[in-house]
Amino acid sequence: MAQLETQLDGVGSAPAGLPPAETLAPPRLRGGLRALDDSRFFPIFLLTPILIFFLVWNVIPLLWLLGLSFYRYKLTSSRAEKYVGFENFRDIYESSALWGTLGRTLTFMVTTVGLATVLGVGLGLLFWGSTRMPGRRLALTMLFTPMVLPPIAVGTFYRLIYDPTFGVANYYADRIFGRTFDFLGDKDLAFPAVIAVDVWMWTPFMILMTLAALGSVPKAELEAAEVDRLPWSKRLRYIVLPHGKFILMLGILLRTIDAFKTTDLVYLMTNGGPGKQTETVGLNLYRTGFEAFQMGDASSLAVVTLLIAVAFTSIYLYVLNFRESRAQAQTGAGA
Amino acid sequence: MTTRTPDRSQDEDQARAHAALLRDAVVGRVSRRDLVKRGAALGLGASAIAGMLLNYGAAKTAAQGTSPLAGQTFDMKILGIEGWPPSQLGVDLATELFAPFAQQTLGYTVNFSFEGAPFDQLFQRAATSLQSQSNEYNIIISDSQWIGALAARNWILPLNPIIEQNPELSIEFEPTARAGYQVYPDGSDQLWGFPQEGDTIALFVRQDLFSQQAERDAFQAANGFALPQTFEEWEQIDIDQYAQICAFFTRPDQNLFGMSTQWSKVYDYITCYLYPFMFSTGGEVWDPATGQVEGILNTETNAAAMEKNKSFLQYAPSGATNHGIPELVDVFTSGSIATCLQWSALGPQMMNQQAGAEPGTVADPARPVTPDGVLIVPPPGFRQADGTLRRTYTLGGQPWVINAYNTPEQTQVAIDFMKFWYLPETQAEFAARGGNPCTIEALAAPGFEEQQPHFRAYKYMIQNERSRDFWHSPSYAEMLLAQQEAFSAYVTDVVTDPMQALTYAACTQQQILFDSEESEIEPSDACADATL
Repeated sequence: MAQLETQLDGVGSAPAGLPPAETLAPPRLRGGLRALDDSRFFPIFLLTPILIFFLVWNVIPLLWLLGLSFYRYKLTSSRAEKYVGFENFRDIYESSALWGTLGRTLTFMVTTVGLATVLGVGLGLLFWGSTRMPGRRLALTMLFTPMVLPPIAVGTFYRLIYDPTFGVANYYADRIFGRTFDFLGDKDLAFPAVIAVDVWMWTPFMILMTLAALGSVPKAELEAAEVDRLPWSKRLRYIVLPHGKFILMLGILLRTIDAFKTTDLVYLMTNGGPGKQTETVGLNLYRTGFEAFQMGDASSLAVVTLLIAVAFTSIYLYVLNFRESRAQAQTGAGA
Repeated sequence: MTTRTPDRSQDEDQARAHAALLRDAVVGRVSRRDLVKRGAALGLGASAIAGMLLNYGAAKTAAQGTSPLAGQTFDMKILGIEGWPPSQLGVDLATELFAPFAQQTLGYTVNFSFEGAPFDQLFQRAATSLQSQSNEYNIIISDSQWIGALAARNWILPLNPIIEQNPELSIEFEPTARAGYQVYPDGSDQLWGFPQEGDTIALFVRQDLFSQQAERDAFQAANGFALPQTFEEWEQIDIDQYAQICAFFTRPDQNLFGMSTQWSKVYDYITCYLYPFMFSTGGEVWDPATGQVEGILNTETNAAAMEKNKSFLQYAPSGATNHGIPELVDVFTSGSIATCLQWSALGPQMMNQQAGAEPGTVADPARPVTPDGVLIVPPPGFRQADGTLRRTYTLGGQPWVINAYNTPEQTQVAIDFMKFWYLPETQAEFAARGGNPCTIEALAAPGFEEQQPHFRAYKYMIQNERSRDFWHSPSYAEMLLAQQEAFSAYVTDVVTDPMQALTYAACTQQQILFDSEESEIEPSDACADATL
């Protein structure tokens, strides 16, 4: 008991070598500031700057965009903008060309995200299991390089790499197949050529997400699995995936949204051509707004694009939460 | 073929001395006698010196009178085309010559700066700035087809009242240039732009190849007519003979091809180089008076013209459907093609000639094409039913336009600059540096055709309606976008029927014009199925 009292006595005093407790305490606020600190409005006060920023740079432009989508407004026309109701949206609905572009964008999105995920997860697992590999850190740094390059640089590089006259790709194509290919000018090759570049560029991101997901798996469980001599497939299914799936899904979600709005890479590599063979929704939007200057049409397309992106996000989050809640429900029922 | 070694410092010194002499002449700081002496010492041609002398008085006259802006300083920004030498030339002359001219004769200081945007982004840059009523860009080097959009929004100053108040600006331009760079709406007297740089399509020929006796003999034996060697001989070449020439030089095993031209989907590239096939064979693209496109663009004549244009792809290197302006410069100067249809304004670049240096100076010795191995001639003609040859090619080039949101002082500086720009001395200097002038006087100057290797072809093509512009419409951008897609789809085999591509373009354009109330004609029911 005496020992306990001694310990309690020491709680309020500073350990040896440190200044007294009163000097470590936060400085006392003066009257007005103290009142503000205690006020329930204080969190709002702290959030105000970012809320203003968000309002000015996000909410107002978004509302402006929404409003503009109901007008026929051309930047190059001398006529005043005209309210047309849902006509712009009806035009989108009735445009077979735009549906074609949308379909192409979805194909692009599914293919690039799918391939990057498969490759990323595979390479991520290999790196995860090769901690003793010499030069691992350097290899990882090199591997992440494509991801940090700006798309404008990647697009330009690959235009040159794919060039039919002096491109490296055609040098090897000539040596292997005995002929060259017009990768970006051929109607059948241009789309796969762009997809390949996007996969090259974003696979490292999925490797990164995979490594992050694997890092979140508790070591104790992995060691237990090793002791139990669980095969790799079961370790992945029962230990790695349940712990890492949220991070992995987050990576897939981010990539899906990003792939859906791909513009710059396609613009630089093919400008949407040949014909419209590589045109994505993002590029169509850019061209409608900033090449044809049809601001009303571009705004309505932007609204539709936004809704699609929101829908994707919602579906992913729903799937993730649904499985989570089902797992919790099962755990609860078991208990 | 000899390759001259460039002595850059010497050339630069000479260019500087030339500019200084011109500056002194313009501001009247040198006597006529000294002008002749110094001009001769610099090795200037008699025609250049005579031009300076002839117009010596005019410069002083223009300089007379005190400007109300005297004593003030102005910063003027020109928006032009990035990487396009003629745009840069305008700014160089503004900085090197107009600034001292303004200082000494008008009494104010002016500092020019340049901002550039690529062809396909120039209007976007200008429009977004002008839409916010900004005077960020005081003078804009616009592409000719944009005049309609710029004028319709009153973003640029109408020039008729300015010319009325400043009779020096009532300049006689080549009619093609006036119609292309100045007038909107078409056929009216309303002027909106001053020609900055004229441009036409020319044919660049690897004369080092064509002049080889073995090639000439082989060609004669194979085709039954002689390989053209001179400007006059090329003048007689029709498109079918040109195809034979291209076929003769297409040797993939030697990495040599007959020709290339602009087939790229970017901006207006394929349109500008496909239209000549339509215009020269009697095709039209729209009726500017009624805004009718459907039934005018999608005709059998134009479909045949498209087929003809596409047939030349067999003589072009792989990847030619992505060839635009810079790609052509590269592919021609690297020796991969024997001929090239390209804008004449790129004469020095196509010849691998160092810009601003003495004609003949090689820019890149590593490239096989050198200035003395290139001949610049008129593009091929199209044989008409009566046996005559017709050339109606697309007009290139750009006008200057003046921002309507300038302050009155900035507008005055811009007007002063325009007066200076069209002084005969300035035009002579512009031409001496490789720019294509548009004034009747400059084009008729003695020795003009010999002054630059591309001038003869340029003059030939800009005169006698051999070149024409298209679509001075505020809806230009939208119409172009649809058409580029359609034409690109056809040359890349996305669609194989030229009529399908033409019908898609015509229907889309008709809808655009109808929606924008520029035409009362609605697309027909047949357009419901028009697709690419």
